[in-house]
Amino acid sequence: MKKLLALLIVAISTTAFADYTFVIPQKPGGGTSQWAQIIAEQLEPFLGEKIVLLHQPGARDIPGFNNWHNDMRDDDKVVMVSHGGNGVAFLQENVDYNYDEYTSIGLMNLNIIAGKRIGADMDYPKFAAGSGQTPEAWAMAMLICGPTDDHREMVFYAACFKEHVTWVSGMSGSERRLAFKRGELTGTRENPAAYKKHVGGDDKAEVWFHHGILQADGSHADDINHPGFQMEILYEEMWGVKPEGEFYNAYKLVKSFRDGMQKALWVNKGNPNAFALQNALTAMSQDADAVKAIQKKVGQYDWLIGADGDAHRDTLMSFITKDALQDLVWFNTRALGLASVYKEELLK
Amino acid sequence: MVTALLLGTLYGLIIGLIPAAGATTGLVILFGFMSYFTDPYLGVVFCMATVAASTTGDTYSGVLLGIPGANSSAATMVDGHPLAKQGKATYALTAAITTSTINGLLWGTLTFALLPWYMNLMMIFGVPELWAFTMLALACVGFVSNKFWVRSIIAIIIGTFLGMIGVDPVTNADRWTFGWDYLADGIQIMPMVAGLFAIPEILDGLKKGSATTQPHDTRGQTWDGIKATWKYKWDALRGGAIGAFVGFLPGIGGGVADWMAYGSTLAAHPNEEFGKGNIRGVIGPEGSNNAQKATSMIPTVLFGIPGASFAAVLIALFMYLGFELGTPDLAADTKFFSALTYGFMWGTVLVAAVCIALNKYICRISYVPYKYYFPLLVGFVVWACAQYTGGWEDYAILLLCSLLGVFGKAYKYSRPAMLMAFILSYKVETLTIQMSALYTWETLMTRPIFIGLILLIIILFGLSLKNNKLEYS
Repeated sequence: MKKLLALLIVAISTTAFADYTFVIPQKPGGGTSQWAQIIAEQLEPFLGEKIVLLHQPGARDIPGFNNWHNDMRDDDKVVMVSHGGNGVAFLQENVDYNYDEYTSIGLMNLNIIAGKRIGADMDYPKFAAGSGQTPEAWAMAMLICGPTDDHREMVFYAACFKEHVTWVSGMSGSERRLAFKRGELTGTRENPAAYKKHVGGDDKAEVWFHHGILQADGSHADDINHPGFQMEILYEEMWGVKPEGEFYNAYKLVKSFRDGMQKALWVNKGNPNAFALQNALTAMSQDADAVKAIQKKVGQYDWLIGADGDAHRDTLMSFITKDALQDLVWFNTRALGLASVYKEELLK
Repeated sequence: MVTALLLGTLYGLIIGLIPAAGATTGLVILFGFMSYFTDPYLGVVFCMATVAASTTGDTYSGVLLGIPGANSSAATMVDGHPLAKQGKATYALTAAITTSTINGLLWGTLTFALLPWYMNLMMIFGVPELWAFTMLALACVGFVSNKFWVRSIIAIIIGTFLGMIGVDPVTNADRWTFGWDYLADGIQIMPMVAGLFAIPEILDGLKKGSATTQPHDTRGQTWDGIKATWKYKWDALRGGAIGAFVGFLPGIGGGVADWMAYGSTLAAHPNEEFGKGNIRGVIGPEGSNNAQKATSMIPTVLFGIPGASFAAVLIALFMYLGFELGTPDLAADTKFFSALTYGFMWGTVLVAAVCIALNKYICRISYVPYKYYFPLLVGFVVWACAQYTGGWEDYAILLLCSLLGVFGKAYKYSRPAMLMAFILSYKVETLTIQMSALYTWETLMTRPIFIGLILLIIILFGLSLKNNKLEYS
């Protein structure tokens, strides 16, 4: 019945001319919604068919993805649009969707940049909290607290984090930006395009660190736009050793799932239209006008299309280990106050 | 842009003419059409023209039928409708429209021309000031707008409870959803506004909807109406100043400003008789409504705190168009400010010109029996509210909110207070968390604006307990 209803919604929401439906897990106007809108506009001519956006909003953008996974993915014409927040939720919340069961049409591999107020004491930063900021919390803990010989590594980092970082809950993105501009927060984070827009032009702010860009071999490379500020590079400069250990492994897991699939298009495995969609996306990504139009709205990102997207996803899945998952949940719960859950089933 | 202006004005005028409709209902209906604005700035022009035109247009049904087009024309009706019964409808309408337009333009200029400058306030207002300002908004609606302050508190508690359904801002876990996943994203603003305001007013219109005056002779009355505005200019300007002040205070609707303006007109002329067709009783409150609409955009745009119920819908509509009010990015968007100004100011001028020139014909629209509007209004409002997921849950929430609205209206539980508490409760909670993380008592005591706002809340509370006589719910 539920499935029938969902398909009915798809049918009603699409016009007679609509051939493809992009399911977006948020309200119109949201970041991913805007991204999907511009991608759909640019993709249509290369696909030769109409694309209709179907918004399925819900808490933390999870219900829309769940609905697609449970009720819509068997429809060959329905494509899921996901974002980095879905990746973090996949690791630490009870969601139905599972990236392993899909074929990638294409995804954007992204980096997140953390900025700071010039002259602020970043041994004691003030930073906006939230599940979206989880990787920054892990990076801050490592940069501020450094390596440890303590056999209770997680306990050490949790205590150090709580002592040093003012972790301010309840801030929306706009509140966070405003509080940073006013100097109430001394640190903030943005994707590259938003960083340029919100922090780059602020003469009282500068780059603090970034997470690096995930490579095919599972390593993270420095960002050419902010060279020398990758967390791993800064850590080595500050503490004289490379970051390693269980805390670092869990950090790598969560940052990769958020940034590595920041924006992604998925269809169900075995979808006969996957090839046509991938071809259209390849053509679009090579078209100067389309690329220009997309970059104008959403910034410059690299596409990983088709098999490359699947391989990228597989790299991410290889980061999931029992220890990393348990550590992620432990630190999120104890140090960050988030209601994270340990998902044994991800290890299967 | 001109097309958006013309269509927005026409739509606003029609909505204003419909008894018991008004800006809030008109904007709720628009939600279903937002995706048609490929250029978001055109959407802003359309919305602002709708606000301006509906505020002017709602005078018609109040004067001609004795049914306020919206809360903001209820005060006008007290003396306007008796004038219509005396065959002086055009006289009353022209005076009302002229007054409304002049104040709209005056306060619109002061608001929109200086709005980018006001944006600097965002840098002065930190977390503590925003917290105090939000509390002031709650205090204003709860205690100033309704003499039944105990019921206002109950309304605030209900609104707060509903507003906190969704996600816990600290743990990110679902809160008070009773296992219903749909609620994890919170109750949406559209069904809440429609249920609390649009549906009860539409139902009320059905109950009262019958014409009580006949089309009238307009010879000479238009010019007399304009002259009356000049003759009683101080009543008009006083009303405008009151409307502008109330509009700036977040959360207080046009009805409050109008009744305050009407009350001040009565107080200024203790020897005159009101309620039986005194033109001052039309000019006073009409001075306030467009001015209030203009200045209520200040807290709305600056802080994302709605200046009135219509502004709550505007925030949601603008969000749909990609403009997040109360954010620093907007300060640099001069095109957005131009669109706001253009839509409101030209909408005000255009609707006034149309109304005065075509008064005789426009009056006839007000005489169309309400039963013809009713299904259309209900249909559009329900459709607009079902845009969130399109599922049965949207309808269920609208139904529950409508029951709450009808109950609140019938038993005078302040609906503005409930709506504002609904909108602001999450903000109050998160700002409290932020303030306690970032500030101590010592650092708070060094912030003069914060202290000033707290004192203002205490003074307002004291005054309202002593003086408030308004029954607006």
